Amino acid sequence: MSNGTILVVDDEAHIVQVVSLKLKNAGYDVLTAFDGEEAFETLMREPVDLVITDYQMPYMTGLELARSMSRHPLMAETPVLILTARGFGLDDSDLQIENVKEVLTKPFSPRGILDRVASIIALNTRGKSEAA
Amino acid sequence: MALGKGNIIPAMLRSILLSLVTATTGLVCGMIFGLDYRSALLFAMTITIVVVLTDMLLQRLLSRNSRRRTSDWFTWATDRIGGRSGVEPAWTGVHAVHARELSAAIAGIVGEKSDLQGELRDLEVTHQVAQAGIRQVQMALDALQDAVIVTNTFDEITVMNDAACRILGLDGPASDHLQKPCGEVVANDSITTAINDTCRSGRVADTRRLEIEIDTGSQPGVFEACTSCFRSSHDSIGGVITVLRDITREREISQMKTDFVSKASHELRTPLSSIRAYVEMLVDGEADDPRSRSEFYKVMQGETERLSRLIDNMLNISRIEAGIDQIERVSVDMSVLVDRAMDTLAPQAQAKQISMSKRTEPVSVTVEGDEDLLYEVILNLLSNGIKYTPEGGRVTVSLDLDNLSRSVVVSVSDTGLGIPPDALPKLFDKFYRVENFKRFAKGTGLGLNLCKNIVESVHRGQIGVDSTLGMGSRFWFSIPMRYSGSQAA
Repeated sequence: MSNGTILVVDDEAHIVQVVSLKLKNAGYDVLTAFDGEEAFETLMREPVDLVITDYQMPYMTGLELARSMSRHPLMAETPVLILTARGFGLDDSDLQIENVKEVLTKPFSPRGILDRVASIIALNTRGKSEAA
Repeated sequence: MALGKGNIIPAMLRSILLSLVTATTGLVCGMIFGLDYRSALLFAMTITIVVVLTDMLLQRLLSRNSRRRTSDWFTWATDRIGGRSGVEPAWTGVHAVHARELSAAIAGIVGEKSDLQGELRDLEVTHQVAQAGIRQVQMALDALQDAVIVTNTFDEITVMNDAACRILGLDGPASDHLQKPCGEVVANDSITTAINDTCRSGRVADTRRLEIEIDTGSQPGVFEACTSCFRSSHDSIGGVITVLRDITREREISQMKTDFVSKASHELRTPLSSIRAYVEMLVDGEADDPRSRSEFYKVMQGETERLSRLIDNMLNISRIEAGIDQIERVSVDMSVLVDRAMDTLAPQAQAKQISMSKRTEPVSVTVEGDEDLLYEVILNLLSNGIKYTPEGGRVTVSLDLDNLSRSVVVSVSDTGLGIPPDALPKLFDKFYRVENFKRFAKGTGLGLNLCKNIVESVHRGQIGVDSTLGMGSRFWFSIPMRYSGSQAA
């Protein structure tokens, strides 16, 4: 039985590959995309439980993706975890988007990502059941 | 002063005659007025004595005075009163004492006048020296690029230089604005507030600094305003000195440095992320089959090489930009370097079935330069050509001679993706990568910047690109055959 479906978005193929493998080994279903636009198109087709996205990508950054998702009724509730390799992190004002739950700095630990993924999905599921 | 001998006899005869006439006249007058003989004789004698003595005194006075010029009158009178210069004192007793005191007082006044004239001359010289000093200080202040404004405790401008007028956009020379209220002249609230606050604080050792933006005409500049109190000669607060320094360039450099560190950090973190993640996966036993493990090792090896290349490029650019690189200038045959680069990259080209060819003019293509650095340029451009050309494409290297500039021109043409027009101006910037091509091939974002530095800074050559999107690109660079000095090296 699947623990949930996660979309992994990064323009670095090696990162997509390693994160996907870690999540698959932990029992998650994984979808992949290599830029923000492709990710958004995937989300339109298939709802997911969590989006793990790189920050700096061509066409649409991870933050722009999160913002677009928050404005869309089908994805507004979907939590987002951002990975960033930026030297000075992100501005706090940029992170005031409701659905951005976590920002992790590269280089990251796949184990650490797995821990965060589990807790974010659990929290989101609990929130949904309480609301229901 | 005694009379001369020649004057004594006529004077005596004159006195005898005068006494005879006077005595006779006195006697006759006494008799006429009804005096008796003895009374008339006594009267005549008295009159005679008085007249003769008066005459003698007048004679003596007139004889002295006639020999003196007007200008000597003062000295003569002093002599007469004080009894100097061998003249017998005319007066004695209290008068003589007063006369001497008066003489001494007059002599003192004359002496003081002389001293004052000397002091006046000294003061005039000192004034001229001070004026020259002030002019020199003003000229020195006007030569400064920093604005200097000095205000007194009444907030009036007492000193101002040309740079202050230029920076603050004031009309006319600085001297036009002196003695005017600072608030009227300096139309910048931040500066006037800082000056007033500094003056009110009254602390000499306390320099206030603030950053302000001033529109100097062409574009807004960033300035650092330093205000300090200074003491007057009476040890009280004399006023405030304000210095405005243009730090626009410093801020730009600081921003460039911040951007460089941010971009470099991003570029370093990306391959490091892959390496760390794959190592952790191997340690955790997540790659359970040999094929996956082998794939992980290859990824880690590739990312390690990428990291190493990135660091090499950063250090090379930094060394060249700092101008401290040891350049070995030798005679370099560019054709040989192209052959070497083609041999090195042959496996990559073959893997994508890309054909590589070289076209050269039958002339010498030898330049004076650093062999290793020039090889790095050719390798970078050729490698880019192979990376951004789809499978089955073509990469051609041409070597030509530009007789006009006496340079060797190397061109690398490909049948690849081409470059969007908006990306062309930024192509040689540090860490710039065409967004759409990132997935097509990996790069450090520093290769072309390194090429530009090697060609332009080290060899005083030129580098450029001609490209049409979807039609391929032609990167070219030219190196002078004879090196004629470099600014960076």
